[in-house]
Amino acid sequence: MRRISIVSLLLLVMFTSCKKYLDINQTPNNPLNVPASTILPTATVAVAFANSNDLNRATSAIVQHIAGVANQTAAYDVYNLDGSFDNQWNFEIYNGAVNNLQILIDQNSANNPAYSGIAKLQLAYIISVAADIWGDVPYSQAGQGLKYEQPRFDKVQDIYQGNSGLNITSLFDLVKSGLADLTKTSTLKPGTDDIVYKGDLTKWTRMGNTLLLKLAIQLTNVNPTLAKSTISSVLTANTYINANNLDFEVPFGPSVGNQNAIYTFNTLNRPGDQMLSSRFLALERSLNDTVRLAKLFTKPNNVFTSYDNGSTAAAPTNANRSKYNTFFTGATGEAPIRLLTNAQVNFILAEAALVLGTTGDANAYYQAGIRAHMSKIGMTTAEIDNYFNTNPSVVTLSGTNDDKLKQIITQKYISLVGNGIEAFNDYRRTGYPVLALPLNAAGDNPNVIPTRLPYTPAELARNPNAPNPRPKTDVKLWWAK
Amino acid sequence: MRKILMGAICFLLCTGIVHAQSRTVTGKVTDNTGTPIPNASVIVKNFSTGTKTSSDGTFSISVPTNAKQLIISSVGMEDVTVNIGTKSFYDVTLRQSEKVLSEVVVTSLGIARDKRSLGYATQNIKADQIADKGEVNVVNALQGKVSGVSITNASGSAGASVNINIRGITSFTGNNQPLFIVDGIPISNDVDRTNGGPLGTLGDNQPANRALDLDINNIESINILKGPTAAALYGSRASSGAIIITTKKGGSARNKAEIIVNSSYSIQGAIGLPKLQNDYGQGTNGIYSTNVSLNSWGPKFGSTPSVANGLLVNGNPVDYRAYPNNINDFFQKGAIFDNSVTVNGGDLKQNYILSASNLNQKGILPNTELKRTSIKFGGNTMIRDKISFGGSVNFINTIQKGILGGNGNSSLGIIAQIPRSLDLTSYKTKGTYQNPDGTNNWIIAGQDNPYYDAYKNPLTSNVYRFLGNVTTGMDVTKWLNVSYRLGLDAYTDRRKQIFAVSSGRVPNGQVLENTIFRSELNGDLIITGKKNNIFTKDLNLTAILGQNINERYFQSTQVQGDNLAFPGFYNVSNATTLTVGSFEANTKTRLVGFYGQMSWAYKNYLFLEVTGRADQSSTLPKDKNTYFYPSASLGFVFTDAFKINSSILSYGKIRASSAKVGKDAPPYLLDNTYASWAFGNNVASFTFPFGSTAGFGASTRIAPKILSPEFTTSNEVGVNLGLFKNRVSIDFAYFKQVSKDQIINVAIPVSTGYSTKTTNIGEMTNKGIEALVNVGVISTRTFRWDVSANYTRIRNKVVSIAPGVDNFGIPGSAFTGSIPSIKVGYPYGVILGGVIPRSNDGQRLINPATGGYQPLIANQVLADPNNDYKIGFTNNLKYKSFSFGFTFDFNKGGQVLSFTSALYKSRGMLDKTGVDRDKPHILPGVIEVTPGKYIDNNIQVAAQTYWQALGGLQSEFNVYDATVFRLREISASYDVPSDVIKKLKINGARFSVFARNVFYVAPNSLIDPEVNTQGAGNIRGLELQSAPNARTVGVSLKLSL
Repeated sequence: MRRISIVSLLLLVMFTSCKKYLDINQTPNNPLNVPASTILPTATVAVAFANSNDLNRATSAIVQHIAGVANQTAAYDVYNLDGSFDNQWNFEIYNGAVNNLQILIDQNSANNPAYSGIAKLQLAYIISVAADIWGDVPYSQAGQGLKYEQPRFDKVQDIYQGNSGLNITSLFDLVKSGLADLTKTSTLKPGTDDIVYKGDLTKWTRMGNTLLLKLAIQLTNVNPTLAKSTISSVLTANTYINANNLDFEVPFGPSVGNQNAIYTFNTLNRPGDQMLSSRFLALERSLNDTVRLAKLFTKPNNVFTSYDNGSTAAAPTNANRSKYNTFFTGATGEAPIRLLTNAQVNFILAEAALVLGTTGDANAYYQAGIRAHMSKIGMTTAEIDNYFNTNPSVVTLSGTNDDKLKQIITQKYISLVGNGIEAFNDYRRTGYPVLALPLNAAGDNPNVIPTRLPYTPAELARNPNAPNPRPKTDVKLWWAK
Repeated sequence: MRKILMGAICFLLCTGIVHAQSRTVTGKVTDNTGTPIPNASVIVKNFSTGTKTSSDGTFSISVPTNAKQLIISSVGMEDVTVNIGTKSFYDVTLRQSEKVLSEVVVTSLGIARDKRSLGYATQNIKADQIADKGEVNVVNALQGKVSGVSITNASGSAGASVNINIRGITSFTGNNQPLFIVDGIPISNDVDRTNGGPLGTLGDNQPANRALDLDINNIESINILKGPTAAALYGSRASSGAIIITTKKGGSARNKAEIIVNSSYSIQGAIGLPKLQNDYGQGTNGIYSTNVSLNSWGPKFGSTPSVANGLLVNGNPVDYRAYPNNINDFFQKGAIFDNSVTVNGGDLKQNYILSASNLNQKGILPNTELKRTSIKFGGNTMIRDKISFGGSVNFINTIQKGILGGNGNSSLGIIAQIPRSLDLTSYKTKGTYQNPDGTNNWIIAGQDNPYYDAYKNPLTSNVYRFLGNVTTGMDVTKWLNVSYRLGLDAYTDRRKQIFAVSSGRVPNGQVLENTIFRSELNGDLIITGKKNNIFTKDLNLTAILGQNINERYFQSTQVQGDNLAFPGFYNVSNATTLTVGSFEANTKTRLVGFYGQMSWAYKNYLFLEVTGRADQSSTLPKDKNTYFYPSASLGFVFTDAFKINSSILSYGKIRASSAKVGKDAPPYLLDNTYASWAFGNNVASFTFPFGSTAGFGASTRIAPKILSPEFTTSNEVGVNLGLFKNRVSIDFAYFKQVSKDQIINVAIPVSTGYSTKTTNIGEMTNKGIEALVNVGVISTRTFRWDVSANYTRIRNKVVSIAPGVDNFGIPGSAFTGSIPSIKVGYPYGVILGGVIPRSNDGQRLINPATGGYQPLIANQVLADPNNDYKIGFTNNLKYKSFSFGFTFDFNKGGQVLSFTSALYKSRGMLDKTGVDRDKPHILPGVIEVTPGKYIDNNIQVAAQTYWQALGGLQSEFNVYDATVFRLREISASYDVPSDVIKKLKINGARFSVFARNVFYVAPNSLIDPEVNTQGAGNIRGLELQSAPNARTVGVSLKLSL
């Protein structure tokens, strides 16, 4: 019996010491908590990266800023879109931006509203990008981990207008809640970790109000009342982006790993895939706007060399192609990604004055928009003045309201080179500028310029709440014309 | 202590203490010509213990005093029963015969067992079945010889990894390679990857599986434990089976030192290069052009030069002709020089062995090599006939240099698309593959010259490895033995990958310094008790009680230097960015196991064995980290039981077993973490830190609320038969394995904010048949002919994943469009990609506008890499001193997706693309005229359009049936006769010639289907422009002094 108890004791000792011996499962590779100041840059870059990578290439090809020459961009150019954009939906938008922004909001609303405020503004921005591209998307249940394992696809109209029955906060209210956060006392405040405005919260207030303008103008076809009231109150408060140096643009850097996606794609990794569209070149020539065009696209040997959308002809020698100029790429990838600009604001206000009857002179806003963009891309005042003097019919609104709208959106479209997503929004909402089908169009419907992008394969496969079969790319969005 | 241990046995086994006596008996076994017989079985009759003779035929065995007889047997020899008398040394002569079945095998925990007592399938491979066959990697040496096992090498590149799966794949995302045990100690057979530039593992250089470090010449035998039953005592990690390797030991009953010198030299060459056309050269649409693409769609050779066809430039005709061997000549003649010396001596109690070996291989690809140096020292001693000590240390240095493969800019990626008119040899030298400033010289900007890529962008791996073990054992009483075995496997693999400035993949240059450290410390306390005639006469029991600790540590640190300041200096100090791709990763896991085994034998014909093991793992939730799993097996030799003594049925055993094995989780899955963030892929990317600003974000995996071990249950039935006086022996097994509650990071909708969730989910089954037949066709005194055949058929099925999840990609890199996946209702590893839409009767649909195919339907099953069955067939003939043997294998079914084939078509290189090139072509398929109504395609397209439609990289047209017949190896040897040996005053001399991978016939495949770009691992059936296989031919000389 004594032996047995000794043995039992021995076994007991072995088991208890095992407990400590086995307690080594805390990862040395990753932190379990990180400060808000390290999450904000990640989320901000995510927003900018999503806007400048594959989604931008696809929409820039669809709106014919550029033409695809090879690989995926060539496929997008002729509407072979199905099966793409998993990385955008997954890693850029929902992993990178939405989840990290939601974490910032959850962890900082109580004590550090400066962080939650900025996060709400960025969240509203990136959700609007997703909703404008795909239509119904996960929003109110998105980015909440195991709480909603199969997030609901909220209707795009509910995303914009809210739906209290379904617990959906409208994007307008989300922005307003963010703006309110910015005014509260905050223990921690962003500094250099705010890579856009370096902790200047008044500039974020301007960004938020400008975002309200962008969201509002999207509703001209479906809810002009809400659009008008929103824009009017922003105008009254008068705290929006009204100078080029206030633009909401996310900086990038010149060193490897920090370069913007337009540079790494066009200059480094896929220099042969896309170039200036012949149709955009034709438009700019018709507007005598080639001085500006040369700032937007390169002009090797002093010649613009373009490629027709959807063409299968042999592409020009790589070195001779007109491609995105340094305004977009920087010398080595350091150009910022511009998301909300002074030029864009002026075009929105011009359109609002014209269509919704908000205060201000549409023509004045229109001209201010053109000047803001020309100045932004580095045209001299003399060059701008010269353009205005020699092209009065271009820079002056005339004709019917529809003619005027066409002028506004066409100039806005030029100013949105590099931001195909926003140009694609305007095109679908207004039908301007008038675009023709590419050569060899294919995809869901070769006879219709896509009105949305197809849902991504991974989300379709994993989320039973995803509309399945997916809507074809010719099914119009709620706010579309 | 002794009392405690005895008490423990009492307590746990509830058996009484019985005193039995034992003593040691030695001897030597020879054949009737006096030649020693190594590996002969020596078994104590009526006791399930035994041993094997060493290389000089000697043996030593501890026999209980109540034992009466020894049974000595060897393959192809007639059994001899020796009465145990008072002598301690016995000379035993075996006559050649057909007795093949009594065989000692080394099973779990290094315990030698009579195979007849086992209730589960094992297969034993002896040294002479793998040595002197020209193989470098021990895993490859098993090819074609073992049933139930699937072995595929990555390619013929020097040191390329070899994949091995036993009885199919059981874990969705875990390691499915069997556990490797060397002299009782688990060792690493891992494959570590150093990501080669933006393409990652899709484009690396096929690093080795670490079993490559083992010197085949130093192996005495390999026993393959096939199911989890056999491996239950090794715990979790043997759930995929175990490869038990026993290395050579010193010592003989004659107590004489011996020196064995082994030397072999072989040459290698690439095989399996498809036939290419030699009528058309570089260009597109019939027009010659040099610097746009690598297409061979130019004008026909011999065309009249004109400006229009591009052959007349500035009034001068261009030099335009075929270079038929431009690709074949890229692959060079490889060579393997392998030398080893072994010194061993001592008697059976005190002995030593010292061996040193060196292997030097020049690969079939330029600038590739493998160098392996191994030094081993081992010895055993015994104190007062009671306490034994033994141990060995083995130092290994393995250097592997490989070049990049994979789609796009890599040496092998470009070599798969060289225009037929390109004189590639003119780019072969340093002065021609690079410009005077050291940059890449090639016809197409942004693309690598394959020689430049090979010579400037190699990856070297330099492994220093230590394998050591010590064992001590003590006979506490005559019936009770306590032993402890401690083993350590530790290695450091220092790697360097260079991307020269101007390389296609990383134009600004890159240096990767990657250091991998891995160690495994394993200790086993084993208490063995044996008692005969327990409860009743002829009922014998062997009981084992053990405790195991296992600690594994892994660290990989990498510094990635980007954007090099200037070319030619490939040191990280030349980099201007060090933050991208640099990392430190560590894992540490610990496991404590307690196990027991009881083996009952009744009258040496009925055997029952039960095992149980409880593991505690550091990787599971603290309060639920213990899990138990049992096994039971039954063997019944019915011929003995029913005293069947037929000349037709000489031996018959049926067996059945059932086992469950639990598997713990990988470490660190229980917490949600943050990580420094990066966005993008190979076309555009961003990596934090951003300047001096850090960026962290939530990891894309979300941790589980609970996590439990995963379990595999295996049931097996089998039969062993000996027919015609055991001239024919048959071993047949049927098994079914069910793997449940897999620990996986299952894909979830990313709109949750996370890509995956760790959870227990899913079910997969494997059902299979294995058969092994050995036939002694002819057996006379001077001539023997033995045939061995094996058959394996395994059916794997993914029964379920997670609710709502139909499929997900196997972790690892993959190109979108050809993703090796786990898909419900299909076998593991099907490749999902786009397939062409079909008509109602299954014909491919043509786009009426273009004559090409309709757009692909994504995410369909494109290829299934799992074969229908495998057959291995070995013949061994021996006439006097001459031996001759050959092995071939046949693999039926399975599929491989080949990028090389795709390029041979789309680039216009394949011989068939040169046929009728100027005539219109029509793609096979139908056109839908009205819904549901089809006509045959009648739209004519140009040859280039036609072949490019068939040449999509990820197209179903480049999925090939992997059926292949292969003459795996052939060898002949001559043993210098004993009278000559005696005159030369040496112990033996053997001269061999051999060839491996002699030829293959793959009737339905353009390439050799036995390649796998990503090497060992769960991804199979992808050939993404990788190296071809190699044929080896060589000679070897073995001298025993």
